[in-house]
Amino acid sequence: MMKFLTSLFLGAALLAAPAHAQGQPLRIVIDEGVIEPMPFAVPDFVPDSAAAADYAREISRVISADLTGTGLFREISSDAFISRVSSFEAPVQFADWKAINAQALVTGAVNVSGNRLSVRFRIWDVFSGAELGSGLQFAGTTDGWRRMAHKVADQVYSRITGEGAYFDSRVAFVSESGPKDQRRKRLAIMDYDGANVQYLTDSSSIVLAPRFSPAGDRLLYTSYESGTPRIYVLDVNRVQRQVLPTQEGTMSFAPRFAPDGKTVLYSLAQGGNTDLWRMDISTGNSVRLTSAPSIETAPSYSPDGSRIVFESDRSGTPQLYVMPANGGEATRISFGQGRYGTPVWSPRGDLIAFTKQNKGRFHIGVMRIDGSEERLLTASFLDEGPTWSPNGRVIMFTRETQGASGQSSLYSVDISGRNLRPVRTPDGASDPSWSPLQN
Amino acid sequence: MQTGTKISAIAHVTLVGWALFGGTFRSEPLPFEVQDVSVISAEEYAALFAPTPAPVVSDAPSDLQEPPKQDDEVKVPEQTEVQQPRPEPVTPPEPQPAPETQPEVVVDTPDPEVVEQTPTLVQPEPEVVALPVPPGKKPKPRPAEKVAPQPVAPPPPEAKPDEVETPPVADEKGADTPREQQEQTAPEEATDQIVTEAEQSKELAPDRSPRPPSKRPQRSEPAQTAEVEKPAEPTKPVAEDKPSSSTDDAVKDALAEALGDAQQSDTTPSGPPLTGGEKDALRVAVSNCWNVGSLSTEALKTTVVVSVTMNRDGTPVTDSIRMLESSGGSSGAAKQAFDAARRAIIRCGAKGYDLPADKYDQWQAIEMTFNPERMRIK
Repeated sequence: MMKFLTSLFLGAALLAAPAHAQGQPLRIVIDEGVIEPMPFAVPDFVPDSAAAADYAREISRVISADLTGTGLFREISSDAFISRVSSFEAPVQFADWKAINAQALVTGAVNVSGNRLSVRFRIWDVFSGAELGSGLQFAGTTDGWRRMAHKVADQVYSRITGEGAYFDSRVAFVSESGPKDQRRKRLAIMDYDGANVQYLTDSSSIVLAPRFSPAGDRLLYTSYESGTPRIYVLDVNRVQRQVLPTQEGTMSFAPRFAPDGKTVLYSLAQGGNTDLWRMDISTGNSVRLTSAPSIETAPSYSPDGSRIVFESDRSGTPQLYVMPANGGEATRISFGQGRYGTPVWSPRGDLIAFTKQNKGRFHIGVMRIDGSEERLLTASFLDEGPTWSPNGRVIMFTRETQGASGQSSLYSVDISGRNLRPVRTPDGASDPSWSPLQN
Repeated sequence: MQTGTKISAIAHVTLVGWALFGGTFRSEPLPFEVQDVSVISAEEYAALFAPTPAPVVSDAPSDLQEPPKQDDEVKVPEQTEVQQPRPEPVTPPEPQPAPETQPEVVVDTPDPEVVEQTPTLVQPEPEVVALPVPPGKKPKPRPAEKVAPQPVAPPPPEAKPDEVETPPVADEKGADTPREQQEQTAPEEATDQIVTEAEQSKELAPDRSPRPPSKRPQRSEPAQTAEVEKPAEPTKPVAEDKPSSSTDDAVKDALAEALGDAQQSDTTPSGPPLTGGEKDALRVAVSNCWNVGSLSTEALKTTVVVSVTMNRDGTPVTDSIRMLESSGGSSGAAKQAFDAARRAIIRCGAKGYDLPADKYDQWQAIEMTFNPERMRIK
């Protein structure tokens, strides 16, 4: 056996000898690079008919806006294009795109037949002259053209970055109008980029803190409709709601779904004490998880449902704690100066986003689940209420400006701290909750 | 007597004359300088010799590091925001048309023919441009779209971003020879560190917890420890190791014998080796195009080793670029990391790397290790 192996290796070595004889390769180590948006080009998709022309142009614009909005990509203006894509099947003139430094190219075509719309597209790595993945086609109704554009952008984003995508998602929030002391609040939902706003409640009572279910089909929120805060579950598609059964004379708030979507964590204030409870939605049975004399609130599950991060002032000031999902001993994870609140576990499970108040300023920050590597991403008069994008790369939050005429609005920021940008909404907005990716 | 007197008189006259006019016969005049002298007033004289104040050391970044039109209120959060176009007009509330709008069919479309053409644009050679770092305290990084190994000051507003810096040239009226007009170019502004909004206003808030990141007190769990320790490492039979090592030895011996002298003489490429400076120039050239900004967090933990064969003109053979190995991430992350590395090699080598032609044997085959570890902490 040993002789056989020896002969085998000997033969291989002799075969390899000529190549080896050419010499050892020059070896260098590259450990410094650049971080900058990748230039890309999305020439208008090719319409198969005159009826598809407007859709083709608008879909191309939404794809570009999605990618540019991440801060990871930079659109090359069509004014700089040398090539014009007039046919989806025509060969790509890579030299023309290299010349304008387009590193990624998205070509596509749109077909409209009645109220049916289909989009097919390809993604190219210009400098290697190769296609990234395979061509795809999405089909749906013309009403859903924006969703199809988001889905194409999701494919581009994930194929180039390797991250999960987040464009085909929605955000629930509290729409605010009127002066600060007489603010009218309505529950609303929109596309992640601020388009297609729909209102889910009227402004007759105060609503707070909507939270999406893991499937994105339901919303939990707190309403003062009955005079005291109570938790409601709302079916997003049918816009039907029901109140969660909690004890009379108590205040329930800060709800959040468990990863299985069957149970709900919430805070319940009773006799001057606030603790965390868990309710089975189908039976209405509740279990108490904490019993400290301090205030425990803002619970959030880990993605695997095994642990809960929450806010408590048991040490004297609000800090963040982690405990097992069934209750038990909690471990403090925040030790910096200031007050910590509204912790939210990342969908990836590796980070916890939080609000921090220190020296008169509010921050949105992230830390590891053991509290290490805390990093503050924002600073303003009032930032609060972070929510994670479905891929765990972006955080959306509420920013309120100072003064009697101060307005609330939504902002998003990359977890690196870059690309801080406002999310446009028709009126003021607060308490965002980012849905999972739509199916 | 008269003759003696005459001789004496002539000798004395000659001696005295030589003493008086000997210097006249020097061949070279003494060197001298000519300076322009202008008349100045007493005030100007006083101002000229007034004591100059000592330079003030400031913690603030140098002027070159500042954006051109920043005012005093540079720490307002809106400064780093990116404007976003207004969303689409609000549609009236209506039931979600979810079932109909579900994209349903996924079809692989046929591969089109790919036509490759050589770029025809002639661009100047890339050049590394870096501002000198002032001595003493490191300048505070500025927020900029590009994060590079070395900070670059913002370009003049009228300059076109380019890899090389070119001064503007305009045709001068009345000049003897008309000069070709040239557009001003400057490198793109870059910082060397990501600056968050919170870090911009450091004086108002701390950026990190003072608690050390890794020194967290752990609750001792003796029971679990005991359980972990119980299943002791399985002791491998000695017999298992021996055959493999002896096989390795045998193979090594066989290889050494087979290759023999050929390995010793031919593995070293002919010609002088590349100098450290030449290697550094190549490394910097590739670094300038290695953009990790669009990589996933997992790909940023993945090191890839890439091989490439070079043409004699310093351009890489695109088809020869291969990933030899990867470490630290999944295969998907390795692919993303390799794609970024390949783009870097091709992009910055499009016009040929600046490599010595007489040492082609030394750089005909290159192995580049792309390690993003330092880029993660930017």
